[in-house]
Amino acid sequence: MSVSQVGPRNTIGDVPLEWYKDEEHIGYDVAGKKIKKKERLDKLDSFLARTDDANSWRKIIDDIEDEEVELTKEETKLIRRMLKGKAPHADFDPHAPYVDWFAWDGAKHPLSNAPEPKRRFIPSKWEAKKVVKYIRAIRKGLIKFDKPKEEPRFYNLWGDEHDKSGHGLSYIPAPKPKLPGHDESYNPSLEYIPTQEEISAYQLMFEEDQPKFIPKRFASLRSVPAYEKSVRESFDRCLDLYLCPRARKKRINIDPESLKPKLPSRKDLKPYPTTCYLEYKGHKGPVASICTDPSGQHIASGSHDGTVRIWEVETGRCIKIWELGEPVQHVAWNPLPELPILAVSMGQDVLVLNTGLEKEENKKIEDLLRVETLSVPDESGCAGSSVSWSQYDKYEGIRIKHFKTVSSVEWHRKGDYFSSVMPADILLFFGSYFSVLIHLLSKKITQRLPYKLHGLPVCSTFHPTRSIFFVATKKNVRVYDLLKKKSMKKLEAGVREISSISIHPGGDNVIVGSKDGKLCWFDMDLSSKPYKILNSHPKDITNVAFHRSYPLFASSSDDCTAYVFHGMVYSDLNQNPLIVPLEILHGHTSVNGRGVLDCKFHPRQPWLFTAGADSVIKLFCH
Amino acid sequence: MPKHYRPAGKKKEGNAARYMTRSQAVKYLQVSLSVFRRLCIFKGVFPRDPKKKVKGTHQTYYHVKDILFLKHEPLLDKFREMHAYEKKVKKAVSKKNKDLAERLLTRKPTYTLDMLIRERYPKFIDALRDLDDCLTMVHLFAALPAIERENIQAERIHNCRGLSLEWQAYISRTHKLRKAFISVKGIYYQAEVEGQKVTWLTPHALQQVMPQDVDYKIMLTFLEFYETLLGFVNLRLYHSIKLKYPPILDPRLKALAADLYALTRYVDAKDRTIGANNEESELRLAQLQDQLPANEPGALMHLVENVADDNEEDEETRACKTLFQNKTFFLGREVPRESLLFVITAFGGVVSWEGDGAPFEESNQDINYQIVDRPTQSHRFISRDYVQPQWVFDCINARIILPTGEYMVGKVLPPHLSPFVDNEAEGYVPEYAETIKRLQAAARKEILPMPGGEQDDLENAQNLLAEGIIDRTKAKEAAERKQKMAVHEKQYHQELKKEMQGMQYTSDPNIDEIKNNGEENTDDMSSQQLVKDDENMTMVSMSRKKRRLYEAMKISQGRKKANVETLETRKKNIQKSKKTSSN
Repeated sequence: MSVSQVGPRNTIGDVPLEWYKDEEHIGYDVAGKKIKKKERLDKLDSFLARTDDANSWRKIIDDIEDEEVELTKEETKLIRRMLKGKAPHADFDPHAPYVDWFAWDGAKHPLSNAPEPKRRFIPSKWEAKKVVKYIRAIRKGLIKFDKPKEEPRFYNLWGDEHDKSGHGLSYIPAPKPKLPGHDESYNPSLEYIPTQEEISAYQLMFEEDQPKFIPKRFASLRSVPAYEKSVRESFDRCLDLYLCPRARKKRINIDPESLKPKLPSRKDLKPYPTTCYLEYKGHKGPVASICTDPSGQHIASGSHDGTVRIWEVETGRCIKIWELGEPVQHVAWNPLPELPILAVSMGQDVLVLNTGLEKEENKKIEDLLRVETLSVPDESGCAGSSVSWSQYDKYEGIRIKHFKTVSSVEWHRKGDYFSSVMPADILLFFGSYFSVLIHLLSKKITQRLPYKLHGLPVCSTFHPTRSIFFVATKKNVRVYDLLKKKSMKKLEAGVREISSISIHPGGDNVIVGSKDGKLCWFDMDLSSKPYKILNSHPKDITNVAFHRSYPLFASSSDDCTAYVFHGMVYSDLNQNPLIVPLEILHGHTSVNGRGVLDCKFHPRQPWLFTAGADSVIKLFCH
Repeated sequence: MPKHYRPAGKKKEGNAARYMTRSQAVKYLQVSLSVFRRLCIFKGVFPRDPKKKVKGTHQTYYHVKDILFLKHEPLLDKFREMHAYEKKVKKAVSKKNKDLAERLLTRKPTYTLDMLIRERYPKFIDALRDLDDCLTMVHLFAALPAIERENIQAERIHNCRGLSLEWQAYISRTHKLRKAFISVKGIYYQAEVEGQKVTWLTPHALQQVMPQDVDYKIMLTFLEFYETLLGFVNLRLYHSIKLKYPPILDPRLKALAADLYALTRYVDAKDRTIGANNEESELRLAQLQDQLPANEPGALMHLVENVADDNEEDEETRACKTLFQNKTFFLGREVPRESLLFVITAFGGVVSWEGDGAPFEESNQDINYQIVDRPTQSHRFISRDYVQPQWVFDCINARIILPTGEYMVGKVLPPHLSPFVDNEAEGYVPEYAETIKRLQAAARKEILPMPGGEQDDLENAQNLLAEGIIDRTKAKEAAERKQKMAVHEKQYHQELKKEMQGMQYTSDPNIDEIKNNGEENTDDMSSQQLVKDDENMTMVSMSRKKRRLYEAMKISQGRKKANVETLETRKKNIQKSKKTSSN
C-alpha cells in the first residue's frame, strides 16, 4: 500500500516541521485528532536493524508522516536516472527529431524585410589571409606534404682534408689511459700476486696509499668473473676528461747523473789536505781554538780544560803549557814572526802572553809586555772605564780585564793592534758601542768602534792588506774603513746565524759560515749578496778558514767533518771565482753534540789543522 | 670576461682576465649547469690550471677564450630552443590543450654533432688518435643492459653493439690487430690503423655490475658523442676498403646473435665480388693490350697499380696476416666466441664454433686446433690439438705458433703476460717472457746463445724449440750463473771506481797505514764512506733547483727498484717453498 494512493494522513500543510519540534504530536489527521510522534530507535538499534535487514538501503524516513517508507525497484531506478542528470523516465527521448510545425512556404510576407547584408557577398578577408599564409609556408618549404626522405646518417666527413686546425687555443689532448701491466693479467706470474701478509698490510695503509688493484690468479678463462668496477672506472675516466684541468707538464727523461755539474778533476787541483797525518793529544777538554805560528813551526791551542798549549808541528811534541784555570775561548798568534806572543781570550779577560820562543828578542818583548802598575788608561779612548790593563802575575804577560765574556781575539796584520769581541746580549744600549774593542799593544790603549753596531757581534777580523775592519753580527757582516772612520758596506748573508768569517788573502772575497750549515762566498766587488751558498754541512759550521797562499778554503762543523774546497780567485775581474769541493775530512768523534770546533790552515803548506771536541787536534796533509 | 664587456675597474690582463671560474662561465653563457656540462663534453672544453688562482684554489677555471668559443656555438642556441620547446609542451599539456601538444610533439627540435666532430678532429688522423676512450666506452655500453630508470635505452645499446662489431670486422678484415691481452678487467686489444696505435678494452661477456652512485647522464652524453664519432670513423674506414656503409647483414645470422660472423661474411663477400670485377677488367685489359703496342704506358700503369696494392700492406700486417694462415679453429661452447672469432680471423685463421649458424661442424677433418676451456675433454680427434684460449692470445702476442704442450686441456697454464710492458725498461723480466723470446729466436732460425754454452750444435730450429721448453731447469741454472757473473762484474767495477776515487790512498801507503791505524776503520766501512762523501760533495756544488730535481729523480728510481726487488723476493720465496714441498 502506497501513501500516495491513500493521500496524506497528516494535514498540517506546508509548514516548517520546526514548529512541532517541542510538541509531542506532529500534526492532525483528517478527523482533527493529534497524531502522536513515534518513538525513534536510538543509533545503536538502528544500526543493528540495518545490518539485519538486507533491504535497509531502500528504507527512508518520511518526516511529515513520521513513518518509514520502503522504496520500490522502480522508484530507485527513477532516483538513479535523476542523479545522472537524465530524464526520470526511461521512455522519454530528449533528442527526438524536430518536427517543424511552422509553414514556411506559401507565406505572403517575409518574416524580416531587412535587405541582405554586404558581407554575405564579399569573400572573407581573414580566410584569405590564412590561405596566403599557408601558400607562403608551402612555398618556403615549411609545410611538407610527403614525409621527409631518410638521409644517410653518416657521410664522408673528412672528404676534403684541409689544414684548418682547431680553434686556435692550444688544445691539450687528454692523456691516454694507462696500459695494463703483467699484474693485471687474469693469470699473472706467481711473483705478481701479493702474499696474504702483504694484503693485510695494505689495509693498515692510508686509503690513498692503498693499491687500487690487487692482482689475482684464475686457473682458467671460464672462471674469470665480470669486473665489478668496469662501469665505475669508465665513469671516472669520463669525469677526468671533462673535469680535470689539463696542463702541459715537462717531463725530463734524463739520467739523473747528468744533472751533476762538470767540475774540474780533483787530481788537477792537488795538493790539498786529504789524510790525517798527525794527532796532537794532551788536552783534557774540548779544544776550542787553535792558531798557527806565522813561521808554521808551532801551533797554539786553547782548550776548555783551562790550558793553552804550544805544539811543535812536525813532531807533535807539546812544548809549553799554561794552566790558566778558566776555559779558553780563543787563541791568536801575533802575525809578526819576530814577536812570538799569543793573545788568549779566557772568560772576561784577554791575556797577552810571551811564548819565549824567540830567545834573542826576549828583552824587547818583555818591555812590550810590561804595564806600569796603576797606569790609568787613557780617558780619550772612551772605553777606559770598562777595560783595565794590568800585569798578569802567574805567567809573563798582560791581562786586559773586560766587563763581559770575550769570545774572540784577532790581530791586525802589523801585530800592534788587536780586537776583542764581547757577544753578550745583555749589553743593551752600550753594547752597540762597546761590544767590539780595539786594543793598541804598544801604548796599552783601548778604543771602541766609533760607530753604532746593529745587532749582536759574533766575531771580527782585519783586512789582510788594507786598514779595513770586518765585524760579523748574527745576520750580516759590516765592513768599516778604519782610516776614514766610517762604514763601507753591509754584506747580507741571508742565513740564520753567522758563526764565523774569513777573508781571502786577496782581500776581495769573504767566506762566512753559519749555524744552519751554510757557507756563503761573497765577492765584495760583485754584490753585497752571496755569490754562492754552499749547503754542505748538516750541522752548525763552527769555523771557516782561507789558506794564505794556496787556493784552498775549509769549513769545520759540529757534524765531526771538515770540508776542504778549492777556491780560485782570478785576477781577471770578469771571471767568477771557481769553487770546487775537494775532500771531506773525517776522524773526530762527537762529544756532547759538538764535533770539530776549529780549523786552521798551515801558513805555508797545504795542511789543515782541526781541533775537535774530543780534545784532539789533527793535522791533515796532502 | 671578454674585453669589450670588461666592467670598469676589472683587470685587463693576467690570470684574472684570462681565466674565469665555472660559475662565472655559467652565468655568462646564461645556461644551466647541466647544459654547460653537455656543451663542454661535446666541444671538448676542459678546465685549465692557471698559475695564479685569483678566485681561490677550490674553484675550477676555464680559459676565457674557451668560454667565448662555447658562446658562439650554434648548439647553444639549439639547446635553448629545446628548452623553450619543452616548456611549450609542458604548458600545452598542463592547460589540457591536447591538439597543440600533439602538434608540438611532431616538431621536436633535433641536433646533430657532425660539425662538432669535424671541428674537434679536423683530420681523420686526429680522430683516430683520440679513439681509445671512444672505443672502450662503446664496447662497454654494448655489454650493458638497457635500464629504463637510468634512461639507457635498448636502441642505443643495439647501436653500440652494431658500431663495435663494425669496427671489429674492419680490423679483422684488414689484419690490423697487433696485440691482445686478457686481463681481469676485460680483454685489451691494440690495433694499428693508419700508423696510429688504437687500444681499447672490451669487458668480459658477462652480466655487468651497475653501480648506483654513477651519474649515467654524463656517461650517456659522452656516449652520444662517441657513437657519432665512431659512426663517421667506421664509414670512412669501410669506404677505404671499398665497402658500403652501413653494412647490410644476413638476417638469419643476426637472429642467431652471430653478428660478427655475419659482418665478416658480408665484408668477405663484397671483397670477392670486387675481386671478380677486377678479374674481369684484367681480362679486358689483356685483350686490349694484345691490340696495343707493348710499350704502351697503360700496361705499365696497370703493373704499377698492382705493385702499389701489394705495398699497401706493410711487413707487420703481412706477418699478422700469415700467422694463422691455413689453420682451422673450432671453438667450444664455453669459450668467449666473439673475442676469439675476432682475434683468429684478424690473424688469418678460419674459425667455426659449436652452435647455430656455424660454417662447419666439429667433425670436420680440416680442423687443426680445437679451443676448449673445460677440465677434461672426453671425445678427442687425433688430428687436432685441444688447447685453452690463452694459447691463441699468447701466440698472437709472440707472433709465432707456440708449442701447444703447455696449453693442453686441463693443464696448469703458463702465466699470461702483458704485451704492453717493456720488460727491459721495467727492470724485471718474468721467466716466461724469456722462454718466449728464445722460442721467437728459434722460430726466426737464429741461434741465441743458449745458457750454459755447452749446448750441442743446434741447426734444427724445431729441436731448439723443444729444448727451450724441456730444459727449464737448465735455463734456470744458467740464469742463476749469469746473475752471479753479473754480481761479480758489478763488484769489480765498483772496486775499480773506488780505486779511481781513492788514488791518493794508494799513492802513499804509509799515510794510508797511519790513517787506518788511527781510525781503526775496516776497509769496507771507509769505502762506503768514500762513496757517500763523493755523493755529498757533488750535491754541495749543485744549485738548489738541480739538487731538488736530482733528489726527486733518485726517489722515483728507488721506488721502481723497490718494486722490482719485491718481485724478486717473492719469486725467491716461491721457489724456496716449492723446493721444500718437493723435498
